[in-house]
Amino acid sequence: MKILRWLFIGVYFCIAALPLGWLGLTALKTRQDSISVQAKFLPTLADQSGRKSVFFSANLDGYRGLNQIYAGAQYTFFRYLGNSVLIGFFSTLAAVALGTACAYGFSRFRIAGAQDWLFFILSTRFLPPLAVVVPVLMMYREFDLQNTHLGLIVLYTAFNLSLAVWLMKGFIDEIPRPYEEAALMDGYSRLQAFRLIIVPKAAPGMAVTAVFCLISAWNEYGFAMTLNNQEAVTVLVYFAGLQGNVQGLPWPQIAAGVLLFVLPIAVFTVLVRRHLLRGVTFGTIKR
Amino acid sequence: MTPLAEGRRRDWMKYGFVGPALFVLIAMNIFPLIYSMVLSFTNVELTGGEYRFIGTLNYKIVFRMAKYAEALRTTALFVLLAVASELVLGFALALALRPRFKAKAFVLTLFLVPMMLPQAVMGLYWKLVLNGDYGVFNQVLGFFYLGQPQWLTDPDLKFFSILLIDVWMWTPFMLLIALASLNAIPAYIYEAAAIDRASRWTVFRRITLPMCAPLLGLAVLLRATDALKQFDLVMAVTGPNDGATQTLSALLYQVVFRDGKVGLGTSYSYIVLVVVIALASVFIRYLGALQKKEGRAAV
Repeated sequence: MKILRWLFIGVYFCIAALPLGWLGLTALKTRQDSISVQAKFLPTLADQSGRKSVFFSANLDGYRGLNQIYAGAQYTFFRYLGNSVLIGFFSTLAAVALGTACAYGFSRFRIAGAQDWLFFILSTRFLPPLAVVVPVLMMYREFDLQNTHLGLIVLYTAFNLSLAVWLMKGFIDEIPRPYEEAALMDGYSRLQAFRLIIVPKAAPGMAVTAVFCLISAWNEYGFAMTLNNQEAVTVLVYFAGLQGNVQGLPWPQIAAGVLLFVLPIAVFTVLVRRHLLRGVTFGTIKR
Repeated sequence: MTPLAEGRRRDWMKYGFVGPALFVLIAMNIFPLIYSMVLSFTNVELTGGEYRFIGTLNYKIVFRMAKYAEALRTTALFVLLAVASELVLGFALALALRPRFKAKAFVLTLFLVPMMLPQAVMGLYWKLVLNGDYGVFNQVLGFFYLGQPQWLTDPDLKFFSILLIDVWMWTPFMLLIALASLNAIPAYIYEAAAIDRASRWTVFRRITLPMCAPLLGLAVLLRATDALKQFDLVMAVTGPNDGATQTLSALLYQVVFRDGKVGLGTSYSYIVLVVVIALASVFIRYLGALQKKEGRAAV
């Protein structure tokens, strides 16, 4: 039984880890080696060109190649990374700010139909992007928001608000009321109490919420692809767009780019690992 | 009510807090839905130009043409197989990972990484791994003399390749929730069962499984609503117009953005919405019940 258990863990460990490891190796190869019929899984520094072996000479050309402009794209990788950062950052900021205020309202005031409102907010998360993208596209044409960073920022803010409200409501519900009641007694206004008492106390929760909003904005593809074809193209849309490349996909560059792209996500995931459960269940499970 | 009620001032204050967020949500969700309802009765095209109302013609087309029903079937099968395999695998892993051991935190963190990665690009990357000619996966299979399936081009296998990638990415999600549900079972229940000399199987069937069920149900609903939207992987692996893998979202993309038939697409998206809303309302009711229960337990 015990052996079986370890075998199971071991096998799954390989399934989870090997594809990630292979991604790391691919980033160090030449394109030739990356699609070699003889799988090359041992990096060396010696010259291996022309030899049929499991060794390959590791190099950083994959990373250097990110500076190149490939057929099917207008700019280098870093331009698109900049777009992703810009859109991710501002949409996260807006979602957390609006979400915190909204969660505070639902947590501390009596609002008619509060439960219904909260469930309405949650239900917006379940709409398939492709179902709302057409009217949004038409709307954006009207307001000249197509192909702009602002357009995607607004959309991602709306898209992440449900998550932000639900997560923040959980965090704010946990802050004892007497803190702000004491502040109100001392003559603080409601807004001051919110700004000076609640926001500092809810700051860790806001950070966690921000990470989850950032990740879902960072990984979003459906909206980003359908609403953009020029200026505000994100990294994911850029990579997917390279598929039409006549010379074939530049795998080492893609692997290197993906690694750079997911690195912040991996770091954030480790940082919020204690809240991971809360994040993926909209704050329903609080342990 | 607190004794600190500030009278009427609070009345407008609370709308100041909740108003902006609700405004954004209504503007970006409810308004587009009404707008697309109108569009679904027209023959509007992506390129713009004049359009007119054509009654329910779009809906009639959607109900008559086989490919729409086909996409619904493909999606249903995908959701069913993906969620079921992720649930079984994730729960089994959680059981295996339950006891303490060295490096558990590291192993767990590594297991959880795939679900944080972007599906659109991971789908692309898996094409490198699964390629029939030079993919490393087939080279491993070849090493064990297990044949060389054409994962990406064989019409019978494409669907399962996408399923495989989805399972790789989302089993961690089930694992995470299953572990939490296992950890929530108090130890004294197991102690009582040990005193009663209950067999391992009985303990699993009568204690572990029923006590994990509510949270696992939540996980299944969350995953199902997500899998129903599956688009990124399909786009990366086969593109939107492959009969073997055409999910609802992929077909919608094909109709609207490749064929340019916006009116037709929106009428189809309404039918999709009915399915999604039905599922989501089940989910939301479930969540409400779960919260009430948790709330009572806390009091």
